[in-house]
Amino acid sequence: MVNSVIAGLSSGGAYALLGLCVVLTYRLVAVVNFAMTAVGAMGAFVMVSLTDRGVNVWLALLIGAATAALLSGVFGAALVRWFAGHRERTKAAVTVALYVALTAIGVRLFGGNSTGAHRFPNPFGDPVVTVGSVVVPQSVPVAIGFALLITVAVGLLLTRTRLGLKLQALSERPGTAEVVGIPAPRLAVGVWAGVGAITMLVVVLVAPRLGGDFGTLSGLISTALAVAMVGAFRSLPLTLLGGLILGCLEGLSSSMDSIQKYQGVVPFLVILVLLWWRSRREVWDTAHSR
Amino acid sequence: MTAPALALAGVGVDRAEVQIIHDVSLDAAPGAVTVILGANGAGKTTLMDGIAGLAPLRSGTIRLDGKPIEKLAPYKRAWAGLGYVEQARTTFRTLTVEQNLLVSQSGDGDLGTVYRLFPELEKRRGLQAGHLSGGEQQMLVLGRALVSAPKVVLIDEMSLGLAPLVVRRLMGTVGELAGMGIAVVLIEQFANLALDIGTHAHVLRKGRVVFSGPCEELRGDEQRLHRLYFGGPPLSAAKTDAGAAESELE
Repeated sequence: MVNSVIAGLSSGGAYALLGLCVVLTYRLVAVVNFAMTAVGAMGAFVMVSLTDRGVNVWLALLIGAATAALLSGVFGAALVRWFAGHRERTKAAVTVALYVALTAIGVRLFGGNSTGAHRFPNPFGDPVVTVGSVVVPQSVPVAIGFALLITVAVGLLLTRTRLGLKLQALSERPGTAEVVGIPAPRLAVGVWAGVGAITMLVVVLVAPRLGGDFGTLSGLISTALAVAMVGAFRSLPLTLLGGLILGCLEGLSSSMDSIQKYQGVVPFLVILVLLWWRSRREVWDTAHSR
Repeated sequence: MTAPALALAGVGVDRAEVQIIHDVSLDAAPGAVTVILGANGAGKTTLMDGIAGLAPLRSGTIRLDGKPIEKLAPYKRAWAGLGYVEQARTTFRTLTVEQNLLVSQSGDGDLGTVYRLFPELEKRRGLQAGHLSGGEQQMLVLGRALVSAPKVVLIDEMSLGLAPLVVRRLMGTVGELAGMGIAVVLIEQFANLALDIGTHAHVLRKGRVVFSGPCEELRGDEQRLHRLYFGGPPLSAAKTDAGAAESELE
């Protein structure tokens, strides 16, 4: 059981990163991006298709990340261009449509879970340390380290650089940000592109463990949203923690035969519990008349 | 005659796809305060939003320093030298005073000038803007427009919800901005305060300019202002200055 929980930590680090990407997109450009993991999966499959054809893995990784960044940037530009003045729910609905379309295209291009599982490179699969019967694979420190690095880097970027201050201003008052000379559309597209590239890297990190089919990897959005909800779509440290907890829960559930087959339900349970917990003091008329 | 820093010709502005502003033409000279007056709902804020690029233009041209800006995005208008102090103290509340200034600072903008005009901001430079008093927040928004080194500053109802003493202080600062050579376009609910520091006034009614002329023509004339705001019997030709263009819509 401890081995499963430890193994779950490597997924947890990756989930934390996915949650961070959701939170960043929401905080900085006010969009709940349902298409995020589908874009990441698209980049990841471009990469694995190249490695299958003998392209060097690092070059393929770079091309895959660039593809995801470009695709995400194009979606961001379209939302900025045509949906800037619309409500958050409309923009979220647009990303749901993109998610459905991308998943259909991805499954068509790269195959579903019965036909198209690809073999992703797994450079961090070897154990880094073994204590008694507990094995800690390299992927655990790598995933957690990557998650910590991105959390700290984003925190520093937002608070210590002129660009970060502009991004904060943009998230707080988009209209005012524009009239004080902050190039809101360019920054928004930059955020979308950055999030696309990071998501692709995370998808590549978890693909060897989750199985390399497009539908499964694209469906990671439910996990990402659950993790983002732990951080209330705001707090970066809480989102990081949420990712690790979800990874451990998933590891724990995989070690118990009786509940293993319901493992995929874990993110939805987390979302359900958080929705109930956060709304427990709401009065129906007040909360829903806004 | 000095060339206008801001020139509007035949401007129409929409709000939610309904035309609110019709055929507005006006100039703002550098180093002068141009006052725009009108009752609530006359379209003053929509006109400002149209100039800044926040509301879509239906017709007309807007020139800043002789160059057309009506097709530029709002941030490019700001880069071209247009500062906009929006209604309702639009500070970035989670950023500190200094960070609020830094995000809009352009190459020529100087934080020292802002701190000289508003020493209280320098004392609170590390404080989050959301914790400032209403007057200080308005100072910060004015200062933020100033550090972008603007040629023209649009100011919309900066006195809203502020104590009279603070309003007088801020009006003095608006005069100082004009003294620096900036063209100021001022919307103000306290018409007489604005007319005291203004050089030229325009009155809007139902989205159209119904008066354009020197501020002294309206200063202290409450009855005339009332008629211009809400309509009424036409003024006698003898009372209308030759330099003023005035029309009654009804």
